[in-house]
Amino acid sequence: MTAIEVRQLQKTFQTKRKAAGLGASARALFKPEYSEVEAVKKLSFQMDAGELLGFIGPNGAGKSTTIKMLTGILHPSGGEASVLGFTPWKERRKLAFHIGTVFGQRPQLWYHLPAIDTLLLFGKIYELDDREAKKRIEFLSEAFEIRDLLETPVRKLSLGQRMRCEVAASLLHRPKLILLDEPSIGLDVVAKQRIRDAIRRMNQEEGVGVLLTSHDAGDLEALCKRVIIVNHGQIVYEDKVSTLKRKHLTSKLVEVRYAQEIPSNFHLKGVELLKVGRYGVKLRFDSNQTPVDRVMAHLSGAGDLVDITISDPPVEEVIAKIYKDGPA
Amino acid sequence: MKNIQFLLALWKANLQASMEFRAAFLTQVVFMILNNGAYFVFWILYFDKFNEVRGWTLNDMMLLFGIAACSWGVAAYFFGNFTMLAEIIVKGRLDYYLSLPKPALLHALASRSIGSGMGDIIYGVGSFILSGYLSPEGFARFIFCVFTGVCIFIAFLIIVQSLSFWLGNTTALSQIALSALLTFSLYPSALFNTATKFILLTLVPAALIGSVPAEFVRSFAWDGFLQITAGALILLGLAVTVFRSGLKRYESGSAIQVEV
Repeated sequence: MTAIEVRQLQKTFQTKRKAAGLGASARALFKPEYSEVEAVKKLSFQMDAGELLGFIGPNGAGKSTTIKMLTGILHPSGGEASVLGFTPWKERRKLAFHIGTVFGQRPQLWYHLPAIDTLLLFGKIYELDDREAKKRIEFLSEAFEIRDLLETPVRKLSLGQRMRCEVAASLLHRPKLILLDEPSIGLDVVAKQRIRDAIRRMNQEEGVGVLLTSHDAGDLEALCKRVIIVNHGQIVYEDKVSTLKRKHLTSKLVEVRYAQEIPSNFHLKGVELLKVGRYGVKLRFDSNQTPVDRVMAHLSGAGDLVDITISDPPVEEVIAKIYKDGPA
Repeated sequence: MKNIQFLLALWKANLQASMEFRAAFLTQVVFMILNNGAYFVFWILYFDKFNEVRGWTLNDMMLLFGIAACSWGVAAYFFGNFTMLAEIIVKGRLDYYLSLPKPALLHALASRSIGSGMGDIIYGVGSFILSGYLSPEGFARFIFCVFTGVCIFIAFLIIVQSLSFWLGNTTALSQIALSALLTFSLYPSALFNTATKFILLTLVPAALIGSVPAEFVRSFAWDGFLQITAGALILLGLAVTVFRSGLKRYESGSAIQVEV
């Protein structure tokens, strides 16, 4: 069954253009100049019910604009979309009863109140009866490990704690689909992991479909089965995450710090050294060509490790690579 | 019915939020009562020298102030975002209300409470009681006029601020419009010539908040009743229509928001 079907969806914004300076400001007052920016260009894709779909791309790629059209917040400039059988911008309120949304940069919890008060308010907004709402809050507080946080004013929660409460709030009304726009933005590794675990659990236990936008490749790897990469409002890649990983997410960035100075001629075959300092080294390698365990063995053998960080390349880099190599 | 339950839940949340900062809330209430009282001293001094102005006495002015202050107070306390709508539109904060299944305009308006509005309500009711027009019928007419006054205040500001969908930020324009509406609502329309009266009944409907309701509370008259009712209904209808048309042009935004 199809949860989302998008055909030739477009969104164009009109933006005012003005050169620098007071004179240009005065001219713009009487003769404003506008230009059109195509945020989303004839986008078409499908998402099945219960699917975990990643929708990633760099800043300004059109991810949030697409999500906002799929929730009915924005009216498109052209094209069609059906979400759970509803046309979002025509049946926004009906659709809202069946979907949950989280905008990572736009909190929905009341800042000065404990999260429990917003959750109870959401119960009224989604027209749940009090007993049902409390039972659901009980379940979500266990699933998201927020039981001890519910009675603390939101302003006193950490970003990670608050975001767990935000995602829990979006699931209060048992939606069939949640649209998460950058839910992990600004979170540390542990907080990201807890959110991802809880989302995965809700997908497995309740069959909630998840459309996740992120510019963090880690979210994608941890959560999604399929990925759509957008850039400049267009789909540049659409495939299974496993295929993407095999073909394009093979590069790893490693930063290491040692307790003592490292030899100035530090080198390792199959590894690109990005920076070599007295006590540390930053390198990149392709895990398809150089096995991870070989790199790790070499690094740990080079001295007493104080700190090590392994990360994926930024999505921008993956997209650049896809452009360079072709979608394959 | 479900929307009423939703509104009650929103107001409860607003009350809970204001109770988090009790001292600030009480200070706002007390200072607003004092502020209104200080403003009215001018009329007390005026009527000390002259018994009436074009048929309006000190008691009539107390009645007029009572209705206008109470209308403003109810609008500010229960629908506090009605002065912030332009900013909400321009900064893309409508996203939150549009992603939930309740009427976005009603939800946005009632999601904030201006604490000082309670001071206006207390002052307004006190001023009405002291005006000498307190009777069961007078009180019923007072409540009716406060209700229509709230509708007119809110509807007028929705219309002006919804222009943000087309013109960009109209916060400054809405402040000027609000200032004009408030100022003229506190004067009897008998002071003005016919052209100004027409403006105050249409373009800047201040007379429908202050002097026409005050005359209606003083003594029932069908023309007054119809003027106030029609004014409130037309403005509300227009406000909802303009806002809905504007929503199709809503552009959201990418500003990072740190609180609701």
